[in-house]
Amino acid sequence: MTSPPPPDPEPFRAEVREWCRTHVPTGWRDAQTGVSDEEFVSFQKQWFGELREAGYAVPHWPLAWGGGLSVGEQIVLYQELAAHDAPRLVLAFVAIHHAASTLLAAGTDEQRARHLPAILDGEIWVQGFSEPDAGSDLASLRTAARREGDAYVVNGQKLWASGAKYAGWCLLLARTDPGAPKRHGISYFLLDMRSQGVEVRPIRQATGESHFSEIFLNDVEIPATHLIGPENGGWQVAQATLSAERGMTMLELAERLGHAGFTWLLDACRRPNAEGLRPIDDSLVLDRLAGFETEIAGLRAMCRSLAVRHETGHVGPADASVVKLYYSELLQRMTNFGADVAGLAGSTRIIKPMSSGWESGAWVLDFIGSWEWTIPGGTSEIQRTIIAERALQMPRA
Amino acid sequence: MSSDLTELHDELRAVAREVLAAARRRGADGEPPSLDRQTLTASGWLGLEVPEALEGAGATLAEVAVVLHEMGRAPLRSGYLGSAVLGVGALNLLEPTGRRDDLLGQIASGAVRVAVGLPTGDDVVGPVAPCYSLEEDGRRLRLRGRAAFVPDATDADRLLLLARDPASTLVVVAAQPTDAGLRVAEQRVLDLTRNLGEIAAEGAEVAEGSVWRFAADPEASARRLMDRAALAIACDSLGLAEAMMEATVAYAGVRHQFGRPIGSFQAVQHACADMLVQVMVSRELVGTAVELLGCETPGSGRAVSMAKSHACAMAVDVVGKAMQLHGGIGYTWESGVHAYLKRAVLNRSLFGSPTAHRKRLGQRYLDGVSVLSED
Repeated sequence: MTSPPPPDPEPFRAEVREWCRTHVPTGWRDAQTGVSDEEFVSFQKQWFGELREAGYAVPHWPLAWGGGLSVGEQIVLYQELAAHDAPRLVLAFVAIHHAASTLLAAGTDEQRARHLPAILDGEIWVQGFSEPDAGSDLASLRTAARREGDAYVVNGQKLWASGAKYAGWCLLLARTDPGAPKRHGISYFLLDMRSQGVEVRPIRQATGESHFSEIFLNDVEIPATHLIGPENGGWQVAQATLSAERGMTMLELAERLGHAGFTWLLDACRRPNAEGLRPIDDSLVLDRLAGFETEIAGLRAMCRSLAVRHETGHVGPADASVVKLYYSELLQRMTNFGADVAGLAGSTRIIKPMSSGWESGAWVLDFIGSWEWTIPGGTSEIQRTIIAERALQMPRA
Repeated sequence: MSSDLTELHDELRAVAREVLAAARRRGADGEPPSLDRQTLTASGWLGLEVPEALEGAGATLAEVAVVLHEMGRAPLRSGYLGSAVLGVGALNLLEPTGRRDDLLGQIASGAVRVAVGLPTGDDVVGPVAPCYSLEEDGRRLRLRGRAAFVPDATDADRLLLLARDPASTLVVVAAQPTDAGLRVAEQRVLDLTRNLGEIAAEGAEVAEGSVWRFAADPEASARRLMDRAALAIACDSLGLAEAMMEATVAYAGVRHQFGRPIGSFQAVQHACADMLVQVMVSRELVGTAVELLGCETPGSGRAVSMAKSHACAMAVDVVGKAMQLHGGIGYTWESGVHAYLKRAVLNRSLFGSPTAHRKRLGQRYLDGVSVLSED
């Protein structure tokens, strides 16, 4: 049996509920449908500011930097934000999670002091990891950083940088020793996106939106003080911070799938179709719904257990992969079912609200968008290999 | 869960694993693998949920769940489900009387084996529909009805039969298999690790003192008993799947083809990874249900149906995949994979199919209540 989380900090739950009732903007989904980039950014920054004022923006950070909620309180916070259908922090996501955990794990005092307060002030970050020829095989990345005096000169191309067009800073992996075995010649940099030679070109993705960009780096100078972790030790830093990140971010997404996601799905099934029939009156539909509710319950419990194990230091070697794989494929199955139930009318929803989760009720778009979960951050195939090799200790190919 | 409790469970689990593995090794050729009565009694598991005052261990469903999980990992015939899980579970829901307490003590000591006549199929969900009814015949009470696929029926010394009395109140009728008008017959099934039987009552005369009443609301109590039965099977299926996953991973590490272990092939690796994910999800659902049903939390029925439908369907998939990945050897009788597959298939139907349990969940969506506010 797994250990249940420690008792709910109930007074804290009441506090968050009250805060949500007075702060979650009503009708934000409609208001955020079809908005311009500027309106999206301004809405995200304003919402981030409100959460920060309440002490809810970076609950997982250490107290000294403005966080300090216990794991139990963080679980409650994300449950309540999901239950009240609060907007998601889409824009700040990389900053408050990946950038912060990298800075906290491997940054110098100066780097932390420079960036952590700036992130709280709304500094946006992007991840510059993947390249055209380095996707699943990330360690084969070729963007090169050459030391020249007090700086590194960087040349190369990054791909699938989410939110790059808004970002002030980039978490950059680049090769500093072309002669070393591929995982041992990579360094990790903090790149100012306003540097000379940085060019961002948005990519139009399958949904028609442009969350992602290519980043071209032509003789970009990065001061040596912006190296994070040891030179040629970047791969290890990235590995350590990536999986450490998964616990609470997955919990938030699982809670959202269980609240907004399942509610949208129930609504879709209760809505009469063109023939006046309600899908929910079909026993096969009811059966599928019950299956999804069950799977979501399992996912949520698994995320809570992972968050608790994280605190007690009992995280399994592939727990993060298990949760990512299961969430992303469940999201895909569920949005596929939503699109099926929505029928022809589902295809008439041609835009979805910004700032929402991965399930917005625009089922066809949500379904297409679900590949944004099964492909990035390690494809489902890569996750299965990680699970087999690390958790089950099967022989390597 | 406190660390003391976790430690206790770890210890119980380790002992159970050893005892059951040894019993499986002792199994004679041609005989259904079984856990002998002496070993079962000596284990102390029969009285886990019997109060300490009655010579039991005064433990809870959580500890019984540990044993059930281990019994799934090493399937054997034993009277555990009938006596300790369903029998003790039923008795603990009844008004305390001298006779009830005596029986609890006798189960704990291994002196008496019990079977409980409950609905065992898809009729386990929905409004409680017991298999038996008590009818007035002049000044006598007579029992009629038939329960099928009752766990451990043919080995039982006492029968506890869920019935409606003439006032339509749910009660438990305590009977002996030898009573006139009662007939107990084994139902042979493919799964040799289960002992199932039919208990038919054809107007059996029932003494007043043999009609035992529930301590709390009878409908809710009977519902809890059936939920307990379903959850017990979910624990078992989780254990089955876990053991077969481990066996498959181990086998894939030693079996070589094309000059390398088959476990180094991605197709095999990914199939095993999927097994682990499914097992982990079920483990959470089963753990939640054990916790909620154990402390009578509202919503425990929903958690049980989630656990039962997920774990029992999952186990068939995982064991089926285990047979596939073992290749030809997995299809032999000798490998034993078939025993797990048969038990997994039987478990899937016993005390409600996945479809039946999902139907129970789905009913809530139709009732229009806000599904989310139940949390």
